[in-house]
Amino acid sequence: MIGGEEFRRHCIAAAMLAAALLALALSGYAGRDRLAEIAILAIFAMSLDVLVGFTGLVSLGHALFFGLGAYALAAFTTMLKLAPSLAIPLAVFAAGLAAFLVGILAIRVKGVFFIMITLAFGQMGWAYFQRSRGFGGIGGISGVGQLDLDAIGLSLANPADMALIAIVSAALVYLALARVTASPFGRMLVAIHQNESRARALGLPVQRYKLAAFTLAGAAAGFAGVLAAERTSFVSPDLLVWTVSGEVLIMVIVGGLGTLVGPALGAAIWVLLRDNLSGLTPYWMLAMGLFFVAAVLFADEGLYGLASRIPWTRRRRPGNA
Amino acid sequence: MLEARGLRKSFGALEATRDVSLALPEGARHAVVGPNGSGKTTLFNLLTGELRPDEGKVLLNGRDITDLPPNARARAGLTRSFQKNNLFLDLTARENLAIALAIGERAGTVFWRRFERMPGLLARAEALGERLRLADALDAPVRTLPYGTQRQLEVGLALAIEPKVLLLDEPTAGMSAEETRAMTALIAELPREIAVLVIEHDMEVVFEIAERVTVLDYGSILAEGTPQEVRSTEAVRRRYLGERAP
Repeated sequence: MIGGEEFRRHCIAAAMLAAALLALALSGYAGRDRLAEIAILAIFAMSLDVLVGFTGLVSLGHALFFGLGAYALAAFTTMLKLAPSLAIPLAVFAAGLAAFLVGILAIRVKGVFFIMITLAFGQMGWAYFQRSRGFGGIGGISGVGQLDLDAIGLSLANPADMALIAIVSAALVYLALARVTASPFGRMLVAIHQNESRARALGLPVQRYKLAAFTLAGAAAGFAGVLAAERTSFVSPDLLVWTVSGEVLIMVIVGGLGTLVGPALGAAIWVLLRDNLSGLTPYWMLAMGLFFVAAVLFADEGLYGLASRIPWTRRRRPGNA
Repeated sequence: MLEARGLRKSFGALEATRDVSLALPEGARHAVVGPNGSGKTTLFNLLTGELRPDEGKVLLNGRDITDLPPNARARAGLTRSFQKNNLFLDLTARENLAIALAIGERAGTVFWRRFERMPGLLARAEALGERLRLADALDAPVRTLPYGTQRQLEVGLALAIEPKVLLLDEPTAGMSAEETRAMTALIAELPREIAVLVIEHDMEVVFEIAERVTVLDYGSILAEGTPQEVRSTEAVRRRYLGERAP
């Protein structure tokens, strides 16, 4: 059932990559910056999908790790004066470590309580960075060190190059997460999602697997945050507002839970709708809300379900073949 | 293999388990019978760690496992099937068995190799499926399988981790006569290294597979012995088999 879908997902991912590269070649300054934003949000959404779609842990505080990755990079490069090539992996590690520590507490509860505890941690992070003088308060930190890519003839200050790096990063993150979720480890996460008590009765140390998923998702979100800080050279508490967690959760659900490409597609649709609707009407959020309600109601498996109705992606359909 | 000593468990004022002791040697075929509400499933939950006893101990191979959670007990060789089917419903039967096998082999830490390419995993899932007479049902999502087939799989998942002690909670519940015969045969065919404790309402099944029987009533042991001994105990006949004293 899951195996047969995989080919289709790779097809959709390849089509999205091709579309992104084509758009990059055709678009102007603002369009390239949008593409970078979409690719970064796609990574962020895919990281949350590991948690929500595969493991069944609905988090409303995932922006915490996105923001922590960004802030860690900003702090490492501006305060500790570390080279970005060192600061980037350290920032990802810091976000993963934070997710590990938060996860130890958060995975003790389930369902609605898990949503509330992740929301609470997210709000704590937001409140801290808003007040903290060391991290610039609501003004944030500017002048984040950008990775020097002269060796391959690129510069992150150039939106086209930034977009290219973000798109390639999103493709690599997709491949890595697709691999991990198709592994025995990934299948254990699906088993926990499907039936936690049976997985436990068969001998699976469920809590350890949940913690591993939470840490992995946090580190990947941290990587998205690192790219976000690289894109703008700037971090602020706005990265950690709870609505950011809510938006990325909507991208995942609307895109198609547990499909990885669906949430990436959800991120693209989100940015495109926001930019196009907000110019038309001050009530654009209402229109966006209606669109997402329709997507959830009428598209089985979200946008991924719609995309997979395109015939060329259909190789075999287990169950009703 | 498995021993329970003086187990007690109360839910508020209700004493669900009162001083129950039980010993299953290697290869035991032991049945627990009793009317509804007599504490059979509570006893199972105490043995597998879903519940903690108020008093008493559970020992596996002489080791005190009273404080271990269910997953640690399963790793030590003790697992169960459930009274209500408790499966991975959106996955196929083959995936259900493969996941259970992978849990039993502790393969879940492998995160880079593809699940389907784990050496021999799918072949073993298929072999186990055939042993469970599920060969025709392996590729359908479990949710779509008939109840009786799901019931076979329910026992199959427990078998997949190669337990030393297997607890079966009403394996034939809700089954047709034919399905019950198939399930009885499956239980009778289990390797003798496994000690089996079964909760069962169907007395024919009990007399076919069990070598010892414990009768529970209001949470405490009313009688224990071979099936013949228990059947001839007057208290049991009155209380459980529904016969009146002559």
